[in-house]
Amino acid sequence: MSHIQVKNLSVHYDDCCALNDVNFEAKKGEFVAIVGKSGSGKTTFLHALANFIPFSGQVTIPKTVGVVFQQYAVFPWFTASENIAFGLENYNSEKQQQIIQEHLKLAELEDKKDKYPGELSGGQVQRVALARSLAHNPEVLLMDEPYGALDAYTREKMQQWLLDVWMTCKKTIVFVTHNIEEAMFLADRVLVLSNKRFIKELKVPFARPRQEEVKFTPEFNELRKEILRSINSAV
Amino acid sequence: MKRFLWFIFPIIFAITLWEVISQSGFLNSALFPSPYKVASALWSMIITGTIFSDIRDSLWRLFAGLFLGSLMGIFLGLLTGRVKFFASVFSPLIQLLRPLPAVAIIPLVIVWFGIDDGAKIFSISFAVFFPVWINAHVGAQQIPRAFLWSAKLLTRSTIKTFRNVIFPATLPFIIVGVRTGIAIGFVMVFVSELAGASSGLGYRISITHLAYRIDAMIAALIVLGALGATVDQLFVFFTNRFFTWLKFSSK
Repeated sequence: MSHIQVKNLSVHYDDCCALNDVNFEAKKGEFVAIVGKSGSGKTTFLHALANFIPFSGQVTIPKTVGVVFQQYAVFPWFTASENIAFGLENYNSEKQQQIIQEHLKLAELEDKKDKYPGELSGGQVQRVALARSLAHNPEVLLMDEPYGALDAYTREKMQQWLLDVWMTCKKTIVFVTHNIEEAMFLADRVLVLSNKRFIKELKVPFARPRQEEVKFTPEFNELRKEILRSINSAV
Repeated sequence: MKRFLWFIFPIIFAITLWEVISQSGFLNSALFPSPYKVASALWSMIITGTIFSDIRDSLWRLFAGLFLGSLMGIFLGLLTGRVKFFASVFSPLIQLLRPLPAVAIIPLVIVWFGIDDGAKIFSISFAVFFPVWINAHVGAQQIPRAFLWSAKLLTRSTIKTFRNVIFPATLPFIIVGVRTGIAIGFVMVFVSELAGASSGLGYRISITHLAYRIDAMIAALIVLGALGATVDQLFVFFTNRFFTWLKFSSK
């Protein structure tokens, strides 16, 4: 039973076609990564899934969706805990506090709860962003190059952290990135987007839980080459 | 301390230069009184208390006008910046009125409202409205999409989105608008007190002019200038105090 199903999705910006007749499926609890060159339509695909932009075709996706953006999404006028609390007004204050505490712990930011995003590092801000999305208990998480602005070291730490979080919450995740290693390390499946549609799908065979070491295996390298080849082969 | 010195040094320099020029006898001392004469004119205004009642009346008009004009400017600016309906209804009208020099409406306002404080406050708020509105309008239009999309995902309340996302996201623009409004507000306080007023700094400058008391006139002008700078700096101080996140947000 697929959790997300996309049939014949097309997106047009003015006269330009950004996505053309795209089909996609993701199972419940699956971690899918989408890679592709800049301008290939990765972000557009995610925005269509989140219903942010008009599109044609059929998108079946659970109602509760969380989105993590590359930047500019954590509200700089709210502290870390206020960001997580945003939109939780339907719960009573006791439950709200409980959710906030749980998610601050998840983001490893209990000691930074009263800090503003401007006082936090890039990695910490992105942890707030994910914690804020998860606080609403979404069924699906859409992540748009969330680590694109981070340095390589922080990026690796954040990948491991995300895997740990995902192993406990088991949300369906669609993760867009231009970083092939990141996609392979995180996902169950990697899709290559090029020329406005998916041109290749590769299963990632590495066992979970994954550790950094997997990145240095010959199998990892082989898969990386294959993905790279398919990206470069597209006209 | 260093900052204070940088602040005070140019002022001392200007006063010294002024004293030297007026002592030199090149200029007519009746037209160009020495700092000492201006200071004693100011002192006599302080002793008699006229300067305090003038400041009080001018500030009351300024704050009332500033408050009303800013409130309207922020409210309408956020609406026209974010809601197409309001943009198409209000923007053409506002754009038509905006090039009008605010001082030009004062005669009309006097006909409508008389010469009470109401007329002055109306003129000031009219002038303050436009810079606040245009800044709030443009600021609200330029909110990063990710903020709005996040808000859409996290809450269904439009009021909450306006209060907790659109307003703070526009705040840096609004602050610029209000600071421009403060400067324009002072112009309007002065101009509106020139005609049909019996108190206020504008009135004081006007009657000292009629009495040919250049020293008192300059004293009142200095007070007006100092007041303008003080109000602006206090506004900046309080916005930074109240919205502490602003100092981190540029990061």
